[in-house]
Amino acid sequence: MELIEFFGNHTFRMVFLGTTLIGCVAGALGSFAYLRKQSLISDVVAHSALPGALMAFLIAVLVLDASGRNMLGLIVGAVTTGTLAALFANSISARTKIPIDTAMAISLTVFFGAGMILLRIIANGPFPGKGGINDYLFGNASVITIADLTTSAAVGALALILMLVFWKEFTLRTFDPVLSTVLGFRARVIDTLMFTTIVIAIVIGVKAVGVVLMIAFVVTPPAAARQWTSTLPGMVALSGVIGGVGSGVGAYLSIAIGSVPTGPVIVLTLFVIFLISLLASPRRSIITTALRHARARDALRRELLSDLSDR
Amino acid sequence: MSFILGTTMLAIVTALACALPGAFVVLRRNSMLVEGIAHAVLPGIVVGYALTHDLNSPWLIVGAALAGLIVVLCNEWLIRTGLLAGDAPQGLVFPALFAAGVILITLDFTHVHLHTYVVLVGDLNLAAFRQLTVNGVSIGPRYLYIMLAVLMTNIAFIALFYPQLKLTTFDSEFANVLGLRAGLLNTAFMFLVSVTVVAAFHAAGALLVISLLVVPGATAHLISQRLSSMLALTAVFAVIGAIAGFWIAYLLNAATSAGMALFYGAMFVAVAVIDRLAIRARRHRRTQAASRERLARLPRKTDSERTLEPETQASPLHE
Repeated sequence: MELIEFFGNHTFRMVFLGTTLIGCVAGALGSFAYLRKQSLISDVVAHSALPGALMAFLIAVLVLDASGRNMLGLIVGAVTTGTLAALFANSISARTKIPIDTAMAISLTVFFGAGMILLRIIANGPFPGKGGINDYLFGNASVITIADLTTSAAVGALALILMLVFWKEFTLRTFDPVLSTVLGFRARVIDTLMFTTIVIAIVIGVKAVGVVLMIAFVVTPPAAARQWTSTLPGMVALSGVIGGVGSGVGAYLSIAIGSVPTGPVIVLTLFVIFLISLLASPRRSIITTALRHARARDALRRELLSDLSDR
Repeated sequence: MSFILGTTMLAIVTALACALPGAFVVLRRNSMLVEGIAHAVLPGIVVGYALTHDLNSPWLIVGAALAGLIVVLCNEWLIRTGLLAGDAPQGLVFPALFAAGVILITLDFTHVHLHTYVVLVGDLNLAAFRQLTVNGVSIGPRYLYIMLAVLMTNIAFIALFYPQLKLTTFDSEFANVLGLRAGLLNTAFMFLVSVTVVAAFHAAGALLVISLLVVPGATAHLISQRLSSMLALTAVFAVIGAIAGFWIAYLLNAATSAGMALFYGAMFVAVAVIDRLAIRARRHRRTQAASRERLARLPRKTDSERTLEPETQASPLHE
């Protein structure tokens, strides 16, 4: 498909812009989750966003008599249940002897199970606009409207601005939590803020990418970016770029191939970028390390041989 | 066997087959890795179905389980490269495999008509649909016997390698000192978990099978001090959850695994709360008894004794 044809089509343009935006925001904010070694909590948040999104649909349709697919309602509902699920997992691991990974699995399945039951209730009931409600699972980028796009952009920008305003606090808390507490920063407040930005990054993708695969948008770009840079600003920026470019390319590929869902193609594109970074980034990667080792062995051998010949 | 009895039996056997290895998954802190396995078997199942055209084929179950093993081995490899931080290695591989599975299904070149809803949460009633008949008499769903075989394999593995599993779970360094092949045992165990996940896929789907695996074991872990009693309790919780969850789902007209996941979660929270209340009550009783003892002791003491005794010894509060 020609690029002009691609960008001339309104739906394609929406898909491209929407997914690029999601990839950018999730990639940039995912860096902090990655560096705090809490990547998997984003899987819990993403899965648990489902009951919230569906609840928002039901409330909008039954109480407010509005369209169930309002992006702002979806975001509010998804942030609520996603945060609740993460708090639930943390409180299990803090109050019982259950380790955090099992606590996350328990929280995830309970919330997602509730979501699946809600989904069935909506599918069986007489609700207007329920067609395609299953899209929340794997996402459907082609239903993104201009209103959705502006709402996502505004909320995503809010999360990014929060990150920039509290940059110093986030950095300190990430790399030296003890010092940050000693200096008088409230650990709880900073953690909550940082977590809120990550949750926002996750839920704006629910409509286009779906709750099941959203984890890849948060985990893969930072893991790839980390191989190319060793400064925090560099990593956040590069991770955002990788997320955006990977999503844009993936969206283009899915449309060019035709009849394949956008979300999974983007996930595979991001994974390929990650693999290339891991194998061949110039500073720290598998090939670079292997070459360095080979060179060191070679140098050692030459040194030993020259020692022998000197004697 | 009536349809409803057969389906209930299938729910119970599936719950047991998942929960027993799940107890070790909880103790070995592999819960989120198994969550990854459950996603990653999807492309294995699609490709396996394209080759065998039978979702119940043992070849498909073993083949798809290999896809789950990819997650385990890649995770270990990614950790060994030392290039990635924290739990990120666990979250990198499985979304890619799951995405590949979803694409394979939608491309439809394998003609697998799996509905996305079924992929995620399974459909027990559909799984129980094909009945096995011997001499014209129905003896329950065909799938029940496949799950029974998986359950027997799991029990046999746990019974055979019980000491080794126990040692590598609780003291892996000591196991290494003794010369146990901990890595090999771990791979074998994870393969078994993977086989269980694939077999239970029909009934529980890619996303909620993790609930069947992990939650009964976690609930039992809350209130047990010994591995043997934990395994027994795990089985009890699994059976209770299977029956209750089946009926909840039946009443709500929802997927069985979703009902089971909700009930398991509620059971976990109930046990955790009761356990905490019991501990608090015990502690309260102990402090009450201590203060009563102290009061009873005080008047008997004469002034001369009190001056001789150091103050700290006389006060039971410091005990």
